[in-house]
Amino acid sequence: MLQCIFLLSDAGEVMLEKQLSRHCVDRSICAWFWEQAISLGDSFKQQPVITSPTHYIFQVFRDGITFLGCTQVEMPPLMAIEFLCRVADVLNDYFGALKEDILKDNFVIVYELLDEMIDNGFPLTTEPSILREMITPPNMVNKALSIVTGSSSNVKDTLPRATASCIPWRTSEPKYSNNDVYVDLVEEMDAIINRDGGLLKCEIYGEVQVNSHISGLPDLTLSFKNPSILDDVRFHPCVRFRPWESHQILSFVPPDGQFKLMGYRVRKLMSTPIYVKPQLTSDGGTCRLSVLVGTRNDPGKTIDSVTVQFQLPPFIISADLTSNHGTVNILDKKTCIWSIGRIPKDKAPSMSGTLVIETGLERLHVFPSFQVGFRIMGVALSGLQIDKLDLKNVTYRFYKGFRALTRAGEFEIRS
Amino acid sequence: MMFPQFGATAESLSKASTAMFRIGTDAHLYDDPEDVSIGPLLDSKFDSEKCEALKRLLALIAQGFDVSNFFPQVVKNVASQSLEVKKLVYLYLLHYAEKRPNEALLSINCFQKDLGDTNPLVRAWALRAMAGIRLHVIAPLVLLAVQKCARDPSVYVRKCAANALPKLHDLRMEEHASAIEEIVGLLLNDHSPGVVGAAASAFTSVCPNNFSLIGKNYKRLCEILPDVEEWGQIILIGILLRYVIARHGLVKESVMFSLNNNKDVGNLEEDESYITSIEDASYAIDMTVSELANMIFQCYIEGPDEYLSRSSSTNRVPPKLDVSQYISCSNDVVRILLQCTSPLLWSNNSAVVLAAAGVHWIMASKEHIKRIVKPLLFVLRSSSASRYVVLCNIQVFAKAMPSLFAPHYEDFFIFSSDSYQIKALKLDILSSIATDSSISLICKEFQDYIRDPDRRFSADTVAAIGVCAQRLPNMAASCLEGLLTLVRQELFCGEVRSLDGEESVLIQSIISIKSIIKLEPSSYEKVIIRLVRSLDKIKVPTARAIIIWMLGKYCSLGEIIPRMLSTVLKYLAQYFTSEALETKLQILNTTAKVLLCIKGEDILTVRKIWNYVIELAECDLNYDIRDRSRFLKKILSSNWESQHGAGENSESQKSDQSYILAECLFGGDTKAVRVPSEPIDYRFYLPGSLSQLVFHAAPGYEPLPKPCSQPYTDLDQYDGAAKSDSDEEENTGTSGSLNEESASDYSSEQSITASGGVSGSDESVSGNKGEDNADPLIQISDSGNVCENQNGGAPSGTTGFQDLMSTKSLESWLDEPTRSSKGSEIEQSRVCRSSARITIGNIGSRVKPKCYTLLDPANGNGLKVHYSFLSDTSSISSHLVCLEVLFENCSLEPMLDIVLIDEDYSKSSDSKDQISSPAQNTLKFHVDKPALVSMEEIPSLEPGQTENRMLLVRFHHHLLPLKLSLFCNDKKFPVKLKPDIGYFVKPLPISIEDFREKESHLPGMFEYVRSCTFTDHILELNKGSNSLTEDKFLVICEKLALKMLSNANLSLVSVDMPVATNLDDASGLCLRFSCEILSNSMPCLITVTVEGKCCDPLIVSVKVNCEETVFGLNFLNRVINFLVEPSVPHL
Repeated sequence: MLQCIFLLSDAGEVMLEKQLSRHCVDRSICAWFWEQAISLGDSFKQQPVITSPTHYIFQVFRDGITFLGCTQVEMPPLMAIEFLCRVADVLNDYFGALKEDILKDNFVIVYELLDEMIDNGFPLTTEPSILREMITPPNMVNKALSIVTGSSSNVKDTLPRATASCIPWRTSEPKYSNNDVYVDLVEEMDAIINRDGGLLKCEIYGEVQVNSHISGLPDLTLSFKNPSILDDVRFHPCVRFRPWESHQILSFVPPDGQFKLMGYRVRKLMSTPIYVKPQLTSDGGTCRLSVLVGTRNDPGKTIDSVTVQFQLPPFIISADLTSNHGTVNILDKKTCIWSIGRIPKDKAPSMSGTLVIETGLERLHVFPSFQVGFRIMGVALSGLQIDKLDLKNVTYRFYKGFRALTRAGEFEIRS
Repeated sequence: MMFPQFGATAESLSKASTAMFRIGTDAHLYDDPEDVSIGPLLDSKFDSEKCEALKRLLALIAQGFDVSNFFPQVVKNVASQSLEVKKLVYLYLLHYAEKRPNEALLSINCFQKDLGDTNPLVRAWALRAMAGIRLHVIAPLVLLAVQKCARDPSVYVRKCAANALPKLHDLRMEEHASAIEEIVGLLLNDHSPGVVGAAASAFTSVCPNNFSLIGKNYKRLCEILPDVEEWGQIILIGILLRYVIARHGLVKESVMFSLNNNKDVGNLEEDESYITSIEDASYAIDMTVSELANMIFQCYIEGPDEYLSRSSSTNRVPPKLDVSQYISCSNDVVRILLQCTSPLLWSNNSAVVLAAAGVHWIMASKEHIKRIVKPLLFVLRSSSASRYVVLCNIQVFAKAMPSLFAPHYEDFFIFSSDSYQIKALKLDILSSIATDSSISLICKEFQDYIRDPDRRFSADTVAAIGVCAQRLPNMAASCLEGLLTLVRQELFCGEVRSLDGEESVLIQSIISIKSIIKLEPSSYEKVIIRLVRSLDKIKVPTARAIIIWMLGKYCSLGEIIPRMLSTVLKYLAQYFTSEALETKLQILNTTAKVLLCIKGEDILTVRKIWNYVIELAECDLNYDIRDRSRFLKKILSSNWESQHGAGENSESQKSDQSYILAECLFGGDTKAVRVPSEPIDYRFYLPGSLSQLVFHAAPGYEPLPKPCSQPYTDLDQYDGAAKSDSDEEENTGTSGSLNEESASDYSSEQSITASGGVSGSDESVSGNKGEDNADPLIQISDSGNVCENQNGGAPSGTTGFQDLMSTKSLESWLDEPTRSSKGSEIEQSRVCRSSARITIGNIGSRVKPKCYTLLDPANGNGLKVHYSFLSDTSSISSHLVCLEVLFENCSLEPMLDIVLIDEDYSKSSDSKDQISSPAQNTLKFHVDKPALVSMEEIPSLEPGQTENRMLLVRFHHHLLPLKLSLFCNDKKFPVKLKPDIGYFVKPLPISIEDFREKESHLPGMFEYVRSCTFTDHILELNKGSNSLTEDKFLVICEKLALKMLSNANLSLVSVDMPVATNLDDASGLCLRFSCEILSNSMPCLITVTVEGKCCDPLIVSVKVNCEETVFGLNFLNRVINFLVEPSVPHL
């Protein structure tokens, strides 16, 4: 079981420590960790499980904050990693963002949360809606109150009743004047296009996100028109397994507010909504690069937030790139990003220019890969369609809303 | 300001810009926690001020400052009615409770009161805080509280009670073990899934092998599993798996069984077919794959001891499992487990998915195992940290059963954004799951990877191509072609300039080519020739060396190579001096090989070249090369001479010994060293475990239990299970027949195992199994012992052991009442054992333990009290440490009634009657064991007189002092007895072989090393400058041993002399000590290694191998401390 949790800032400073076991873990382990991180660089920071001289360290890095969990004994490593991710999620949810300043400003809440989330190294309460009932998230009312009265308590006096119920994810019987449920299909498209332009793989990882504000204890069922296209699924604990196994129907009592009902995967899609064609020719110490972007199989909605990003190969000393649409920037670590935005109707955006290769090298023999980003509102590219959403156990009228969105996940074009 | 690092951030601009946003938060408290004095705020009567003070303290804790000095003031606030104050106080209290045990006790009252509160939140917090204090003295109170809370109406409180159990167990309260296990059983039986999850976690840390607790509830636990919260599911899955294996054995239809079975049943048939199909390399590959799978599953079951003994012995044949240890997967027990874990493969929590996949991997039949593939691949899309862990596990699955993941090769295609570790894992998986149908696509993919900017990754890709070509010989030719193109390309780049990464790509491609050629050398003659011809272009030494090696290896292959040998050798000899070390060595070897096999007219040329090369090599600067050349010259020249002398007499030539030797070394079909399919010499660990990721057994790692090692031992237990089943039946009123069925199953199961036990001996006599076939009876008793030891266990077992211990220590105490005699005995044993034969004078008599002051005459009205630790061990209890206390009257008046007592205990023993009364809210706490065995009183002490007393003390902690009261002339002096961890052990005289063996069982995390400088010997060495009589090593040895033995209760095992030519260099001197921890008799091994010049301060590195991590580390620190301490001249 975990013995200690540390939160490290971007500069390696220990912002918080939470001891969980009988024997304190000295924070010098963080100094050791940071020294290693500096001397070994990225490859160390990407290692999720580290064996230090005294402890095993689990590392989760999120938005500049490093979450470290230490243990000396055997435990399921994924349990530690999942838990640290969950802590990061909850903190992100509470404070709106994960930033060093914000965490320091709210360190008391962080401590209270950690204390509630883990006991003796074993996770205790991790359900966000229950945590919200036990420890109040900071909000403007609280802050104002604390200025006026000089004090405020973010610790609730009573135990959420959900802890005792058989549906521990739902707060007890909320009351709303407007009852509504929104179901969003949020999909990410992963694709690899090899250097011949062939589509090696293209698949969708999607989520059914539900935002429910319904009074009482509703029982919802959600069904799809074409569930057979789903390759594999993952469920929120509230989903009952039986109806899905027999009829592919999602039957559940929803948590209150926003949550991820289900994750799914659709494999072997045949096409991508946009094409990106990079061309690299190198000879005589320079290299010509041109990239063409355009829509293919028009999805019917506008494609926006299009970006093309790539890493300049190590032997490139300078790059001169221009585009006929959007802006080209070269960031630190030789990352080049071309922000196109919305693809115009009348012309195909293109970027071209020359890269100067280090002297002595005749031509390029390593080639970068291009990561593409885009977003399409109103379409679920997997083709998954929601059939109907029913509500049982209630008498009132309610509003249902459906939306869809597709964006690029790991979308890569090799050159 | 005190904290410059925060001062700086306070002034930064970003802070100013976010100032608006921060209003109303606790920002100012974190930035300047000490700008208001905290003390008065804590004593304020307003909750808000208390809160502020506590938040400031919390900020200081967060920033790593020690604010434990506020402890008494904070503890007072525990009684506050405000929940926020309570929460903050608890946070503070738990952080420091271990440091300030005595003050922490002050809070117990309030906790006891809170436990009776009507608000379940208050009750739960009180229990958590109380259990979190973790003091031995309050353990019985906590146990009472847990017992009460385990029956609390609130689910949350019961959950916290389950979480409190491991905390109690940590305190190692053997006397309460059964009570704790009883509560675990109670909570496992809870009707709320939330509680069951927490109880499962308690079960694994408190009594992981008490399967009777699971047996009673097995079916219910399986059924409740999907409703248990995710974290509990992870643990509960593991428990259920272990239970099924321990009680019922492995599944007949599983991968695990089929592999084991195939191997021993099909052996005979396979042997025949083996000869005919030996050419078919793919068959060989299949063999190695199934062998690997076999190995993996064997590793799952065997513990470190068995693994070590197996790998050390030459016989690697795994012990076969009895058929009676297998059950069918249609068995209810297995069916339920698989049925209830399979929906968990859809869990949102990747850890749950992996745990469920692990159960299917081990238990499910081969058709059903496929179920785990898609969920595992789905998890690959979650955070990169969990992706890494899942890939590590898939890697093992894929190697053991490539067909499982073969259709999903696309999922392992690499994104350039993947981290290097993930890329490497995916490559490895791709190359092990490639099939004839997918290989062409995978190879195309590899071609893309070779162009990746990360050259380390490209090199790995080249290696993977080599592996694929070996697995699928059909592809070998085209892979080879690709690799050769790559070599040409690399050469082109290499011409322009050598780049770091490029070298590794080139070397790797040559290695891959080499391994492909090895498959079928005769058809690749041209390739070898092409490589040899490119020698003048390839500049990288390693690559050159490998090509030259190939030339030697295949020098008699085909038609063309033998003809070009002399030319190539001439070329190599010409540039010999400018080559790198490894290349030179290979040139020597190759020339020797050619010399042995060459025939015809070239023989004279080659001999000339040989002489030339040897001459050059003999004058080389590097001694490896000089050595190699002398060796080769010797071994080959005699052959040559005999060849010369005997002329055509080939018979005598062949009989020449050195010729045969040379033939063996160079001519024979040597096994290539760098073959990827080398014997599997590493261990595998259970899927989803930490050990599998770090490649060693992490402390606390448990392999699967032995199949059927825990059959039902008595009928009562089974009856209990049946009863609970029928109870359930009545309650739910469903599936009655099913229950009955399973019940009948249980009984039949039992009869089988019983009969197996009875007939076990007969079977072994009839002996159609090998000797290493352990029959089930023996296995049962074996594992029984194991789990007893691990548990620290069943109360009856331990008491028996303690009895044994104490009689042993009594004997030793009677035999060797004084230190000196013991020392000389050690001395004797050392002399006869150490091969280096150093005698260290009469060290025993010179060992003098260090003296500590208990009471200064200035504070004690002239009474001076010193104490020192004795090496004797107590005969009463192994937890007691012996001390010698020296009382001296330095005043002018006589002193009366001197006695030393443990006041806390005497106080509490007065109130014991109250405690035993049923009123649970009694506020007193009691110490369960006295800290001090009462001392014989000194009636009077005349001025100047001294008096000795022996004292037996039970320290509550390794490092914290014990508070005692010294009474003299009816006056009380509070004194503190500081523990010395060096005397928390007793000598463990063992032989060096035993030492080595024990050491090998305590690797990795059980090994702690620190270095320091040692200077004690310098004075002695400088003083006795007549170094003719004094051996410097001896002095160092003696000083070091003296220091160790005078500061800790150890036994000297051996002294290793350095084997150095330089008499002044003490490096390599090695002393080994052994001891055994008093409280739990775990061995603790100390190795002291010296480095440096005799007359200078020496660098001493101390290594401690000990299973108890914390003790080991503290012990090591203590050893370092006293080694560094300058010595006080003895005598």
